[in-house]
Amino acid sequence: MRLTEEEIRRITLSAIEELGENATPQKVKKIVEESLSKIEQNVPVDKTAHTTGRVILTSFGLNNTGIVAAITKALSEAECDIQDISQKLMGEFFTMIMLVDITQSSYSLKELQEKMNEISDELKIKIFLQHEDLFRQMHRI
Amino acid sequence: MPYEFEEILETIKMTEIEHFDIRTVTLGISLRDCFDRNIEITKQKIYDKILKYGKNHVAYAREVEAQFGVSIANKRVSITPVSIPFDSYKAEDFVEIAKTLDKAAEVIGIDYIAGYSALVQKGFTNGELEMIKSIPRALSETKRVCSSINVASTKAGINMDAINLMADVIKETARLTGDQDSIGCAKLVVFCNIPEDNPFVAGAFHGVTEPEVVLNVGISGPGVVLDAIRSAGTVDLQQLSEIIKKTVFKITRAGELIGRKVAEKHGIPFGIVDISLAPTPAIGDSIADILKAMGVEDVGAPGTTAALAMLNDAVKKAGLMASSSVGGMSGAFIPVSEDQGMIDAAAKGHLTLEKLEAMTSVCSVGLDMIAVPGDTPASTLAGLIADECAIGVINDKTTSVRVIPAFGKSVGDTIDYGGLLGKAPIMPISALSSKIFVERGGRVPAPMRSLTN
Repeated sequence: MRLTEEEIRRITLSAIEELGENATPQKVKKIVEESLSKIEQNVPVDKTAHTTGRVILTSFGLNNTGIVAAITKALSEAECDIQDISQKLMGEFFTMIMLVDITQSSYSLKELQEKMNEISDELKIKIFLQHEDLFRQMHRI
Repeated sequence: MPYEFEEILETIKMTEIEHFDIRTVTLGISLRDCFDRNIEITKQKIYDKILKYGKNHVAYAREVEAQFGVSIANKRVSITPVSIPFDSYKAEDFVEIAKTLDKAAEVIGIDYIAGYSALVQKGFTNGELEMIKSIPRALSETKRVCSSINVASTKAGINMDAINLMADVIKETARLTGDQDSIGCAKLVVFCNIPEDNPFVAGAFHGVTEPEVVLNVGISGPGVVLDAIRSAGTVDLQQLSEIIKKTVFKITRAGELIGRKVAEKHGIPFGIVDISLAPTPAIGDSIADILKAMGVEDVGAPGTTAALAMLNDAVKKAGLMASSSVGGMSGAFIPVSEDQGMIDAAAKGHLTLEKLEAMTSVCSVGLDMIAVPGDTPASTLAGLIADECAIGVINDKTTSVRVIPAFGKSVGDTIDYGGLLGKAPIMPISALSSKIFVERGGRVPAPMRSLTN
């Protein structure tokens, strides 16, 4: 919660003071709720949780032409910086892993995931975008 | 690349193929400031407080799910045991509170809210007696409310009066929800040494030593452990323990990360990660299958208890290494109805109540989601609960009983709830009587802690 109990109490008290003799529980409740929702709307949305940092892109499926092209094109359009890339063919199976910095992108991770979903539907492959923290947490002490 | 190809694929394999998910992110909310002499005001305070903290709970969890690609199966809320702040109320008032909790849970979009609870291991207050009396109605007139009662502890001993009372409450709850396979009993747990920070419903509640609001997380990964054991092939038990530990270490780390991120979004403190291996009825997400992969023919075979003990110990060791915030139950769960392997073993008669009881002495949590004939006498249920409490009290561990005396059903029948609660065959229970012993009442004194043989 962004507001503490004490802050809400202070808002309520000043609302009661303002209303003076007209204060009824319903009126006070309405005013406090309205001002709380205004305050909460004004709090800047924390976009960093979504957009900063690096994500791991994993894609796999049957090998086909244009997979790397389609993915890298979409990423560059979204101003994502590909910092590392590694690709393997296991028989007919294609696997690619990328380390992508999305700090400069105007897209959030969620929007990028939606963009990649379109490509994966089109090319019939799987694409996962996951925040790097998960891998660091699981594989590095 | 800072990560190996194999490492990344291993994580993807866990989340996409082996059912690794976060079982629950549970928001603990204190209701200690919600009391008023006027029950209507109390209800409003409870409702407002749960909405205030919980209204974004599901949305935040979904955002974190998408960010890391790890699914969070359940989003839940636990509250202060209702008997504590509302001690001056009567049974009918408690039922009203249960309905308010049910409504609040529905509005914020969660499936269960837990903490309709009381801690009576040493005796009852008037309010606690009223609250316990209200349980059958509360559970039959709500959908989402879960109840737990602690009747024994290593420090206080076993409150046999409470056990007798609870046996009657269980029977009555089964009767009142008889048209739905006695589902009320699936939301009611009797505990010994209940943990105060357990995120797993139905036994969750927000303990009195907890902060105003806190986020706890329960992980789940029987499928991941099963796969690791299967691919290990023939190795000795020390190596097997090593393999289990490595796997659990990774999923615990992931679980803590997810929990912390959800808490961060709420702007509230992160509490604990519960490292319990919790099965689901999905194929491959089974503790029974792990035990079989370890080498016993079926659950219930001689050696099952040893295998489970080793599994449980390895899980704890790895979890403690992986996180400094381990708490809750943190063991392996063996609920019968929620684990396909257990269901099969019970249906074939391989797994009996007696073997299950032995298994509960080496793992969390106890006789869980067990269906017995509807005409089982209350005194026999009391005997069963007392046995389980004795294991907990003497071994200084949490044990519990969630037993369903399925109304109107007998051995050979099955109860089926669908979803996470699963289905269970009615298991035979001994026809020998415990009546005279349990009806003595009073308290089994707290045990001594030396000469531990």
